Amino acid sequence: MANPPFQIPVARRSLLRVATLGAGALAVPAAVAGCEKPSDGDGDSVTFGSNYSDEVPKQAIAEVLQESELNVKINTVDHNTFQENINRYLQATPDDVFTWFAGFRMQFFAAQHLATDVSDVWSDIGGSFSDAFKQASTGQDGKQYFVPFYLYPWAVFYRKSLFQARGYEIPKTWDEYQALAARMQADGLAPIAMGNKDGWPAMGTFDYLNMRLNGYEFHVDLLAGREPWDSPKVKQVFGLWTELLPFTQAGANGRTWQEAAQSLVAKEAGMYLLGMFVGQQFPEGADYDDLSYFPFPTITEANGQDAVEAPIDGFMISSKAKNVDGAKRLLRYLATPEAQNAYLASDPNNIACNTEASTSGYNALQGKAVELVSGAKHISQFLDRDTRPDFASTVMIPSLQTFLNNPRDIDGLCQQIEAQKKSIFTS
Amino acid sequence: MTALASRPSRRRRPARIVLHIFLWAIAVGWLVPLLLALYAALRPYAETAELGYFSWPRDLSLHYFSEAWRRGGLPKYYRNTMVITVPAVLTTLFFSSFVAFLIARRRVPGGKFLLVLFAAGNLLPQQVLATPLYVLYKEIPLPWWMNWPSESLFDSYWGVIAIHVAFQTGFCVFVLANYMNTVPAELVEAAIVDGAGVWKQYWHVILPLVRPALGALGTLEFAWIYNDFFWAVILMSTGDKFPVTTALNNLRGEYFTDYNLLAAGSLLVAFPTVLVFFILQRQFIAGLTLGSSKG
Repeated sequence: MANPPFQIPVARRSLLRVATLGAGALAVPAAVAGCEKPSDGDGDSVTFGSNYSDEVPKQAIAEVLQESELNVKINTVDHNTFQENINRYLQATPDDVFTWFAGFRMQFFAAQHLATDVSDVWSDIGGSFSDAFKQASTGQDGKQYFVPFYLYPWAVFYRKSLFQARGYEIPKTWDEYQALAARMQADGLAPIAMGNKDGWPAMGTFDYLNMRLNGYEFHVDLLAGREPWDSPKVKQVFGLWTELLPFTQAGANGRTWQEAAQSLVAKEAGMYLLGMFVGQQFPEGADYDDLSYFPFPTITEANGQDAVEAPIDGFMISSKAKNVDGAKRLLRYLATPEAQNAYLASDPNNIACNTEASTSGYNALQGKAVELVSGAKHISQFLDRDTRPDFASTVMIPSLQTFLNNPRDIDGLCQQIEAQKKSIFTS
Repeated sequence: MTALASRPSRRRRPARIVLHIFLWAIAVGWLVPLLLALYAALRPYAETAELGYFSWPRDLSLHYFSEAWRRGGLPKYYRNTMVITVPAVLTTLFFSSFVAFLIARRRVPGGKFLLVLFAAGNLLPQQVLATPLYVLYKEIPLPWWMNWPSESLFDSYWGVIAIHVAFQTGFCVFVLANYMNTVPAELVEAAIVDGAGVWKQYWHVILPLVRPALGALGTLEFAWIYNDFFWAVILMSTGDKFPVTTALNNLRGEYFTDYNLLAAGSLLVAFPTVLVFFILQRQFIAGLTLGSSKG
C-alpha cells in the first residue's frame, strides 16, 4: 500500500485559502453581532410604506418627505403588489405610515383594527378640508383614519377644437347627451369611446349612471353590500346604459383604455368618460391643451350633478406603528398646502385635497377639476374603492364585461351579481 | 421507424422533409413571441401606438433597454435574486444528493417510502401552504442581526431560501435517486473494499459520477427559483428586498403601461436564465440522455 487510496488531491495553498474563507464567513455574523442593535428609532424616525412606484411620483414623494422635519425611511413596493398584499402587510410588520385610499377601502381595514385613529390630527387640520373630504376619511365608527393628499376627477373628456368645428354644445341633461351622441354618429364619429380590456374603466360609467339616477347614498349602500343588486333601481341603471350602447365604440372589451384614448386623440371618437389620467395619452402642447371635459349630465332633477367621482389618495397609520406620535406629526405635515403643492408640482393629472393649496401652478384641466370638486356635495371613490376588493375584481369586472358583450339579459345578470355578492359579503 | 429505415433512402426523403417542416414550424412558433417582444422593445411607444405592432419601423434604438435598466433598478434586484437563488440551488442540490445517496446506495430502512414521500410532495400545490406559512413565519423570531427590522422569519431572505429548498428538494431527490441507481453497485463495493467510509463513497465515488444530473438539475432549479415571484411577494414586505421578477412591476404605470418598455425589461430579466442554460448546456444534455439510457 504505497499509495493510500482516496488521497485528497488538494494543494496545501488552496486548502489554506478555503480555510481562510471559511473562517471569514463564520466571522461575519460575529462581527455584525459585535455592533450595537439598531434602536427602534427615536421620536423623529418614521417608516413610510409607499405604493408610489411610478418614476415621477416616487421621486416627488421622496422630495416632499425630505422636507419634513422628521427622518423618514421609505419602503416602496410597486402599487400592484402593494394592493394585493395589503392584508398580509398590515398584519405582519407594517411601516408606521402607509399610502392608501379613502372610502370603503379605508373603512374595511379600520374596522379590522389594522389602522390607528387619527381624529386628533383631524381636529388640527379639519379647517383646511371640505366636509366631503372628512366624510371620505371617516370610518364606520365615526372616527377618522385617513388624511387626504390628492385626488383626480372622472368626467366626460372631449376635444375643444372638434366641438368648435362641428358646433357641438356641452350637454347638460340625459336627453341632450343622447342627442349629441346621435349627431356625432351622423357625422361619422364614434360618439362615446370605451376601452374595457382591463375591466375597471367601465365601472366609471356604471357609477355615474347610478349616482345620477339613484343618488350618492344609494351608491355607497349598494357597494357596501347593504342594498340588493337585483332591485329595480339597479336594473334601471343597466337599462339606461343600454340606451348608450348604440353610440359606444363596439368591441370595448378588446380595447385598452389607452387605445380608446388614442381614438379621442385622433378625433375618431367624440367623447370619453374617464379619469383625468387620460391626459397622459395626449402629446404635450397643442393636443394636450385642446383637451377638456364636462361633468356627466343630469338624469334626475333630485340628484342633479351633486356627486363627483374623484378617487382620493392619502395616508393612514398602521395599528402596529412603532412611532405613533412621529407618524401623526408626519400626517400633519402631509396635510399642509405646502406639502401637497410641492408634490403636485410634478403631477399635472391630480389636484391637492387641501382647500388652501395654491392653484396658481395648475393647468386648465386641473383648474377645472378644482371647480368640479369644490362644487360637489359628495365625492365618490370609484366602484372598486367603494366596495370590497374581492367583490370588485371577481364579480364586477366579469359582470360588466358580460354586460357589454350581451346587454339583453339584465335580469339574469343582476341576479347573478346579487347571488355572488351575498356569498362574498357574508364570508 | 425501423420499417422506414430499412427502405431505400429515396422513400425516406418525403418523411424527412415533413419532419423538418414540422420542426421548423414549432421552432418558429416558439421564437416569434420572443422576437416580437424584441422588436417592440426597439421601437418607441408613440410609433407603435400610431402604427400598431405589426408595421415597418421608423426608429430603432436601444433606448428602452437602458431605460428599463435604470428605471426598474435592475442591478439592485438582480443582486437580491442572486442572494436568494444561489444559496437555494446549492443547498437544494447538496441536501438532495445526500438523501438520494442514502436511498439509492445505503439501503436505509424505509428508503423506498421516503422516495415516494418526496415524489408525492411535488404534487402538492405550493399555493395551499401560503397562508399557513405566512402565519408561521410571522411567529418565528430571528435575532436582530439576521433580519432587521422585522426580527422574524417573515420579510427575510432566510425564510424565502428555506421554502425554496424545502419544495425543490423533493424533486431533486426523486431525480438523483433514480440516477444514482444507474451507477453500478460494484463501484461503491470496490471503494468499500478499499476502506472508504460513507462520506468518501458519497463525495469521491457517487458525486463525480452523477455530475451530469447535478448540472441538469442545477440549470432547472436555477430557472425555477429565479423565476419565482410567488414566495418572495407573499413572505416579504420590504420593496428593496424583492427579487428581479418584481422589478418588472415597477415598469408598469399605475394607469398607463408602456408595453415597449416592459418588453425590454422582460428580455433583460429573462437573460440570466438563458445565460445559465448555455453555460450548463453540455451537462444538461448529457444529463438528459444518460438518465434515460437505463430502462
